[in-house]
Amino acid sequence: MSTPATLLPAPTGLARIGPEEVGILADFSHAFAASLDVGETLRRAVVQIAEHMNAEAAAVFLVDHVAGDIVCRACAGPVDVVGLRVQAGRGIVGRAIAENRVQMVRDTALDPDHLGDQGGFHTRSILCAPLDTADGAIGALQVLNKRDGALFDSHDANVLRLLAVPTALALNNARLTRELVEQNRIKREFQLARQMQKTLLPARRRDFPVTALNLPAREISGDFYDYFEVADGRIAFCLGDVAGKGMDAALLMVRASSCLRWVGKDGTPPGEWLTRVNRELSETVTRGMFVCAVAGYYDPRTSMIEMANAGFPPLLLRRGDESMRELRADGPPLGILGDYGYNSERLALAGGCLYAFSDGVTDVRGPDRKPIGIEGVRALVDRVSGLSPRARVRAIVGHLRKMSLADDTTLMLIADDAAPSRYLGGLAGSSDPENLRLVRRKVAELTLDLGFDECQRQRIVLAVDEAVANVIRHAYAGCCDGRVELSIWLDPDAVRFELRDYASPVDPDKIRPRDLSECRPGGLGVNLIDTVMDRWLFRHPDDGAGNQLTMIKRLP
Amino acid sequence: MSDVNDCSTEDNQGVRLVRVRGEVDLSWSQRLRKSVLEALASNKPVAVDLSAVTYIDSSGIAALVEGFQNARGKSQRFSLVAVSKPVHAVLELARLDRVFPIFASLEDAVK
Repeated sequence: MSTPATLLPAPTGLARIGPEEVGILADFSHAFAASLDVGETLRRAVVQIAEHMNAEAAAVFLVDHVAGDIVCRACAGPVDVVGLRVQAGRGIVGRAIAENRVQMVRDTALDPDHLGDQGGFHTRSILCAPLDTADGAIGALQVLNKRDGALFDSHDANVLRLLAVPTALALNNARLTRELVEQNRIKREFQLARQMQKTLLPARRRDFPVTALNLPAREISGDFYDYFEVADGRIAFCLGDVAGKGMDAALLMVRASSCLRWVGKDGTPPGEWLTRVNRELSETVTRGMFVCAVAGYYDPRTSMIEMANAGFPPLLLRRGDESMRELRADGPPLGILGDYGYNSERLALAGGCLYAFSDGVTDVRGPDRKPIGIEGVRALVDRVSGLSPRARVRAIVGHLRKMSLADDTTLMLIADDAAPSRYLGGLAGSSDPENLRLVRRKVAELTLDLGFDECQRQRIVLAVDEAVANVIRHAYAGCCDGRVELSIWLDPDAVRFELRDYASPVDPDKIRPRDLSECRPGGLGVNLIDTVMDRWLFRHPDDGAGNQLTMIKRLP
Repeated sequence: MSDVNDCSTEDNQGVRLVRVRGEVDLSWSQRLRKSVLEALASNKPVAVDLSAVTYIDSSGIAALVEGFQNARGKSQRFSLVAVSKPVHAVLELARLDRVFPIFASLEDAVK
């Protein structure tokens, strides 16, 4: 014998491939293309290969990425070796795959890589071609012992290489199909997980001081919130953000939220509440994962809040006097320092509202592509503060959605400023400038006993007149038969004017007070409104038609 | 408080005087604008008497601002005289009380 193994030179073309080979190639390709069962087709293919190559045995080996070895998937010959596993890189088959080249071993006794005989079958010579794909060799096609003691030659090698092509293609297609099916299955699982997560969030309750909303960045969320009444009449609340946003974060979210609910149900003081949950999570959570959370109680009878904060972004407390306070975390996130003791903090809501936002809110990018940060959130809170708590949540989410949300986004409001408003009166009519006089009379009359002095009242009348005039002039473009509705409400600390029209929606960004330093006619109206009123908010009403302007003047 | 809006023009002490009365809002400010611009066309000094104006909104103010700018463009005198308290309050609010020449009476304006 000459050399134990011959590494074939680069393909020399198919000049020596005869009509017979082309025939079997066509049969092969057709069998794979027509069959949905690649396993069965492979089993028939190896029989054909052995027959055609005049070999005593043939086999298909595939790389098993999970086990990290090579396994026989189909064979033909006297000994069944299906399921036989070979370590990656070992044996002639391992070499063919590792080098991605055809191996021809004419005398196995002389090749140190030959692994020995299987089940009494003596292997004398081997021809092995890799199953090559775009991702490299996924396996190999192997024939053993040419019949009648002959030796495999380079023609056999070319034929085997040729047959390996449709085999590799078929196996690759089958793999991609399996992966696609798997992906679809995972997608369905994620949808189920999302539905399951949603059921963990508390149902929205009307006329309840706590309102919250979660917008997941993907199917599932690493954010959670919860609120429930405890036995003594206080309302427990918690809000959390698990690091990461994959399935691992979602599973930890489920665990963290159950833990928080379990401990909070007993009315445990917030500091101890978080201390206990932290101890539990630190013992079990995978290293590198953690949960930022805030938990506490709101007592509707005293308007007091007691809470503790574990690494959660600053909460904002907006009081009735419009002052705004940032409440920062007093301890690290849960799951990092198991023996950390968290402190409770007490604060009076005093007619105000507590806003909690996950970092998905502060990380929202504004038109300048920079995160809006806590300053942006403060501005947002100021902007919506004239609305009811639920409308505030919706308005904030509306603003956030206009920007680019990258992370799970959750917000919670605890509102002590949701005291019922009293309807003072109002009027509805057509957008005829002649009606402005009636508007002024009505506003003057309804603001008479609210404690404003004469000068303040005249200014309020002017601001409302300007607002209605703007509706007539701009929203209805001077057309006199549009509908205008004005309603006046007495809130706990302010008088509120709600002006509604049914004209085409006006871009809220176009309504801005102008610079007074330039002297020119026109554009003054918004400026007067802005100067006279303490707050005003222009938006598109929830029912979709027209425009709504809310103007708020604090009581003296 | 008069319910009757009125706008009249007369020549008085060499000045074309526009007398306005009533409530100047969007329904009526075009009338004020027209009177002011017509008075300015005479090329005489123009004064607007606002003593009988019980209410003015930004559309009325805009008519006055337009008159003021128009006069300044051709170096014509334009002043507001006997400005009523409600009008003064709005001028102040719009920070225009220092922009217009304002006089207590027509006599002061022609001095």
